[in-house]
Parts: sequence; structure tokens; C-alpha cells
Amino acid sequence: MLDRRSAFWLLLFPPLLWLGLFLLAPLALMAAFSFRADLSGELLQAWTPTLAQYARLAAVGSYWRLLGVSAGVALVVAVSATALAFPVAYFLAFRAGARAGLYLTLLLIPFWTSYLLRVMALKLMLGSNGVVNSFLLYLGVIHEPIALLLYNRFAVVLTLIYVWIPFAALPILAALQRIDLALFEAAADLGAPPPAQFWRVTAPLSLPGLFAAFFMVFIPTVGEYVTPLLVGGSQGMLYGNIVQDFFTKAANWPFGAALSMIMLVGTLALAALALRVVDLRQLLQ
Amino acid sequence: MTSPRARFSLLGGYYFGLVALLYLPIAILFLFSLNSGTLLSFPLRGFTLDWYTKLFAADAVLRAARNSLVVATGSSFAATVLGAMVALLTTRYEFRAKNLLLALAVLPLIVPFIVLGVALLLLFNVFHIERSLWTVGIAHTVVALPYTVLIVTARLAGFDAHLEEAAMDLGADYLTTIRRVIFPIIFPALVSAWLTAFTVSFDEFALALFLAGTTPTFPVYLFSQLRFANRLPIMIALAVLLMLGTLTLVILAERIRRIE
Amino acid sequence: MNRARLFISLLTTLTVLLVACGGAATPAPTAMPTVAPTEVPPAELTGSLTVLDWAGYDAPDFWIDFQNTYPKVTANFEIGASDADIYAKMKAGDQADIFHPYTGWLQFYVDEGLVEEIDTSQLKNWDKVPDNFKKVGQINGKQYFLPWDWGFTSILYRTDKIPEGVDSWAALMDPKYAGHISMWDDGPGAVTVSSYIHGWDETKITPEQLTQAQAEWTAQRQLNLFYWAGEPELVSGMASGDVWAAYAWQGAYATLLGQGVPVAYANPKEGRNSWIGVYGIRKGTKNYDLALKFLDAKLGVATGNNVVNLFYYGHSNGDVMKGITDPTLKQAFSIDDPQILQKTNFTPNLTAKQRDDWTAMWAEVKAAP
Repeated sequence: MLDRRSAFWLLLFPPLLWLGLFLLAPLALMAAFSFRADLSGELLQAWTPTLAQYARLAAVGSYWRLLGVSAGVALVVAVSATALAFPVAYFLAFRAGARAGLYLTLLLIPFWTSYLLRVMALKLMLGSNGVVNSFLLYLGVIHEPIALLLYNRFAVVLTLIYVWIPFAALPILAALQRIDLALFEAAADLGAPPPAQFWRVTAPLSLPGLFAAFFMVFIPTVGEYVTPLLVGGSQGMLYGNIVQDFFTKAANWPFGAALSMIMLVGTLALAALALRVVDLRQLLQ
Repeated sequence: MTSPRARFSLLGGYYFGLVALLYLPIAILFLFSLNSGTLLSFPLRGFTLDWYTKLFAADAVLRAARNSLVVATGSSFAATVLGAMVALLTTRYEFRAKNLLLALAVLPLIVPFIVLGVALLLLFNVFHIERSLWTVGIAHTVVALPYTVLIVTARLAGFDAHLEEAAMDLGADYLTTIRRVIFPIIFPALVSAWLTAFTVSFDEFALALFLAGTTPTFPVYLFSQLRFANRLPIMIALAVLLMLGTLTLVILAERIRRIE
Repeated sequence: MNRARLFISLLTTLTVLLVACGGAATPAPTAMPTVAPTEVPPAELTGSLTVLDWAGYDAPDFWIDFQNTYPKVTANFEIGASDADIYAKMKAGDQADIFHPYTGWLQFYVDEGLVEEIDTSQLKNWDKVPDNFKKVGQINGKQYFLPWDWGFTSILYRTDKIPEGVDSWAALMDPKYAGHISMWDDGPGAVTVSSYIHGWDETKITPEQLTQAQAEWTAQRQLNLFYWAGEPELVSGMASGDVWAAYAWQGAYATLLGQGVPVAYANPKEGRNSWIGVYGIRKGTKNYDLALKFLDAKLGVATGNNVVNLFYYGHSNGDVMKGITDPTLKQAFSIDDPQILQKTNFTPNLTAKQRDDWTAMWAEVKAAP
């Protein structure tokens, strides 16, 4: 007979073990690497810790600036994706009825097709000789192809928003589905018209979902590097690309590790600050 | 004031417009899978079904697709189970390290995959674990966990514990309570979480490239074949087929559900 | 409720089945004790090798001679995404028996004790390799690497967009082509180009020269459309007309020629660059003899022909190169120009410090506002 107390340990042990072994341990190794002078010698022998990598980092102003830019891009993407995802979640929660599950899955299926191939197809549409430009030129709306759509930061932001909307809809949907429909009846009984019902019942209760969606999009986007590689061109590079370069092009893991640690600490600090302002647990209650 | 019908069509139009936008690149890929030329650029050269017939002779491609399926299924299952555990812990218990646990479960979101990939590579090296589909699966479980935790937590937080307390008052132990009370209620969220975890894993490239060893997953294999202009159409054909397959499965499942 | 149970049991069964199948079907590399070649006929020899190679080279076409001679030996492939990636994986203790780096990156493997010396007396095809190629694989006087694929680097350009032609590496920095240039995403590559333009000694780049290069490439970034990391990216960029001039290997040139895109491969006055890909045997491998057989077969004619015809890269077997008849390929390799190798600059091997400095320089170029 398993009571609640003993169940606690049964529930705690597997995730804790998994995360400790496969998340914390590797990250600790990475952090240790950031205090290593270079990659020479046996990879796992002990080394004398040095702050050399961080000193180098501090000396290059453009890395810090790029981190700020990446955070800014992440902010824009997260706000836009969350805002654009809200109507989707609303539709699924209140208008799709029994078909909600089907419609949700419909949204996610494109993500089981290779992202690489889909973006290649997207580039076909957005390039200066692509479908969109050819069409607009044909219509006479423009006289020269618009270069704005591809190979710059704007293209990165657009593509990221495009990709994130279905995922951002998920937590919002979860929050909306929790709303007790009786609340709407009660509001209607009290004389509230539908718009007021929305602003006074739906919107406030959807806030936890909105915040969850925002964080879910914002945090990984700060370190995003795949999309800038595909559509960013030379001007659309983000911080994550620099990190990736040091691991895969420069074989300079210590410096790459230092860059990653800075980004991790920075994002953690941002998240902690935001959570202080918005107590997530309270919202989830 | 807009009538409910008009409101529906606006929202519905928005939703279906978004779906159309999401499927547009896939429609283009479908077009090129029937194109006899091998470059991914207009104009189209001619109609052919060759790529699809050649696909079924391409052992390596099918094997890579199967590897992706195996990894995605395994890791999404593990991520859902572990995520549900964390969700239960954070919404039904009080303990000092609660916030820490939640933060830990969500931490993978912050870590760039490159960093996690290299770090896991180092770790496996320490323990002399060979790279394989298992190592990829482990990594995918870690990165899918934040999503499953968030989704199940959102659902669990929404209904309070009185149903469980009632069950336990009636004599059920906690495991039975989970099985017969909590589980049915959070089931939609579990499916949602599982779907998300599957999606995260199936097309994941960066971690798989580092940790797959000699058994590539489909995205890694695709990357390796991109060098051959003449192999690209076969890969596109496979991607289209996979998508059509899942689409069919989903619609079938919906039909079955409606019959019930 | 019933539906839920059904779903869960289905899912569990599916998971278990797939995982079991996946586990069972994963080939487990078994290291056989090496057998002296005279005892076992090639057709009966069993065993397995693991090769850390670049994407695409795992295709059987590129080891077809080995497969035909030793049909019972399995070759497993791990994919490396770049020289830095391969180097890092070898350092991290990758157990591949054979790996495939390129000129510029060879010194590190010797310095870090990661590579075995190659016993060339066991290679039947060794005498088909030209001497200057053999030298490329020699470090500190010992034959550590086997030269295999090679090619040129030069400026590839659209003849319809740049009718006046290109005759210098400086074209990559020419404001006339703003927004239509594509440079390879590589720091050492960028330093090499700068050294050609300014006539510097590539092996002795001073800090002042590096700073100057950094400033120039930071300015060039405003003219550059995208940095390409793989040839397919470059090919589609050029085919679509977005890119007019690019730093390119001749593989991209031959691909575009074959597709009918109007392109030309420059012969800059500073000279083209040439690179060579080599194979090395991991130090401590238990499959040394089998690895040697693999390398020997890699020099085979059928393999070499596939490299030339499928990848448009050169092959180190002299007979293969002499046997090229396709006019597109002859043009791509400048086979009809006997002086071409004299006008070519070969990539020297980097020191660890140069690697770190030059890659850091490039990262700062990319991070600059």
C-alpha cells in the first residue's frame, strides 16, 4: 500500500536522476571547460583553472552587443508569436469543439517534415527570384525584387515567429481549456455582453498560459542559431551562431564553453527577474 | 456587435489561413518531388514518379527514417512519463526544493543544443558509452522535458486535489488514485505533451549529429545527402511521404473517434 | 476511459516493439583480431571498420573497390560536419579506426598523438600517387596520412552578371558586386585570401596583418550576401542568381556547368588555391591491417572515378586523373592547362595558435555591428 508520502520519493527519484545525470553533469563539465586554457593534451586530464577565456570574452565588445541583440530578437519573436498564437488557441478551445484534437495535430504535423527542407522551400518563395517576388513583379506592384525578405535579421525574425506560433498555442490552449464554462454562464447571468465576458473572464484566466508561452518561446530563442544560418545571411547572425562556430569550426571548446556560460547565466538571471515580477506558481494555482 | 457566426468565420479563417501558410512549403516540396530536375529551383523540368519508386530501393534512407521513428517514440514516451512525474510533484506536494525542481526541469530550454551535445559527448566519453540511438534518445528526452512538464503542469494546476483526497478517503492508495483519478483527467494533456515531445525529437538535428554514431537519424542522413544534387529529390519524396502518412493516420484516428 | 487504456497500451507496445527492433538492428561493431592477409582469401575476410568521414562519403560509391574486394567486411560510418568537428571528435576519444581531415588541419593530429604511421609498403596502389601528393601526407618526415581527394579553390562567378570577368581575389571585396558575393564561412580561409591579395607569407602572418585582415573582412561583410558552409547552399544561391561571385571549390563549378548555369571559374593573378583531403588511421586502433586494406582500396580506380564523376573532386590516383574524358570535368580541373599546378598555392598546415587566432578573428568579424 503506497501512501502519498512514499509516492513522493517514487515520483522524485527518476526525473531527478535523469536530470542530474544527463543535464547537470554535462553542464558542470562544460562549465569546468570554460576555465581551461586550451584544448591541447588529454581531454579529461585535470587542468589548472584559468580565467583566460573570460578575460578574452570581456575584451571583445561585439560579443556582448550581439548577446543583447539576440535577447532583443527573442523578445520580439516571443511577444509576436504569443500574440499571434492566442487566436489559434482560442479557436481550438472554444470554436473547434470535438475536432480540437484533430486541428491541433494538424498544426503540428508540418514539424514532422524536415525543417531543413521546409526552409529550403521557404527560401524558394522569398528569394529575389522567388515566387513572391516574381508574382509581385508580374502584377506590377513592385519594379525591383524586394531583397528584404531573405538573408537578413528581418527574415530571421519572420521565420522564427512562423515556426513558433503552433508551439506557443499549446500552453495557451491548456490554460483556456481549464476555464470552467460555468463562469461564462455566470457572467452572462450577471448581464455581461460577450466582449466583457472575454475581457473579464477569458483574458485574465488565460494569463498563465500567455506567460508560459512567452517564456517557452523567449528562452530558447536567445541561443537560436539554426534559423540565422539558413535565412539570416551575413547580417542576421545571432549569439548562438558564434557559440556554434567555436565548437564546430574553431575546435575551441573552452572559449565556446565560456560564451555559453555567459549566455546561460544571463538568461537565467533574466528569467529569475521576470519570475519575481510574475509569480508563476501563483498564476498556476 | 458581430454575430457568433461571423466571429467563427473570422477566427476559423485565421486558423485555416495559418494552416495554409504552414503547409505551403510542404506543397512546394510535394511539387518538387514530382519534378524530373534535381535542382531546387524553378522552372520545373518535367513530371516523374521516379523518386518515389527509387525511394523504396534506398535502404539507407528507409533505415534512417526508421531510426528517427524509434528515437522519437522512445524519447517522447520517457519525456512524457518523467514530465508527468515532475508535474505531479510540483502541483500536489509542498517541499522546499520545489522551485528548484521546476527550474531544473525547464533548464534545457536555455541550453543551446550545440552546448548540450558536446557536453553529453564528453559525459559519454567519461563513462565509455558508445554513441548510438540510445544516446540520441537520452538527449532528446532531456530537451523535450520542459515542454511535457509545462503542458501537464498547466493541466494539473487547473483542478484541485479534492477528487484525489476523496478517493484516498475511500481507501485507495496513492498509486491507485493516480491511475484511476488523476490519469484520466490529465489524459488530454498527456497526449498533447507526448505529441510535442515526439515533434521535438523527430526532426532534431544538432544533438543527433553529435550523438548518433554510426546510425544516423533522418535529419542527419538528409544533411549528409545534401551534397549530392541527384539525391535530394529522393529525400524530398521521403519527407513528403512521411508527412502524408502521418496526416492519413491522424484523419483515420479522428474518423474512428467519431464512430465511437 | 477504455479508449485511454487502449491508447496507452498501444503506445507502450509500439514503443517497446520499435525500441527492441531498433536495438536489435543496430549493427554492433565487432573487432575481429587481425588476420594476416595470406591466410584468408579477401572474399572470405570478415570484420568491421568504423570510418569518421564527411557527409556523403559514406555512400558505397566512394569505397566500392573495398566493398568488391572484401564483401564480408562491414564499414560503419560516423559523420563529421567539418575539420574542427572531426578533430574535436577524435580528441574526445572517438573510436573510429579511420578519419578524413584536410590540409591545414593535419599537424594537430600528430602533435596530439592521435594518428598512426601508415605502412606504405602494404599499399599496392601507393606508386600511383604523385610525389607532391605523397609529401602532403608527411609530417615530421613520416607518412601519417594518405592523400585521397583534392581540388581547387578560386572565384566562381556568373558570366552573365559579371561579363567583364574576374582576375583577382580582390573581386570578393569589390563594392561593384555588393549584395551578391558569397564567401566561405571559414576564418583560416579568409586569412588565406587576404594573404593572396596582399602578397603576405601565409605561414608567417603577423598580428598587424591579422588586424588588417579583420578590418577588411568586417567591411566586406556589408557586401556579402551570405556565408556558405556547404556547396549545395552555394550552388542554389548561384543558380537562382542571388550570388554573382563566390569563393568556391570546383565541385560547385562543375555542378552548375552541368545544370546549364552560365558560370566561369577564375584564374586569379595571385594564383588559385589547392587543398587535399587525406585519410589517417587512429592511434591505438585494433584494426590496423584492415584499415590499411581500406586505404589501399580507397586509391582504387573505380573509387577514384566515382569521386571525379559524382563529386567533381580530384583523386590522388594519377591513372584516374589521366583517364578523364568528360569536357565539363576537363574544364573544371583545367586538365588541359599543364601549368595549372605551378600557378596554384597549396594550403599549409596551421599551428594550434594560428587556428585559435584566425578562427577568433573570423568570429569577431561576424559579431561586429
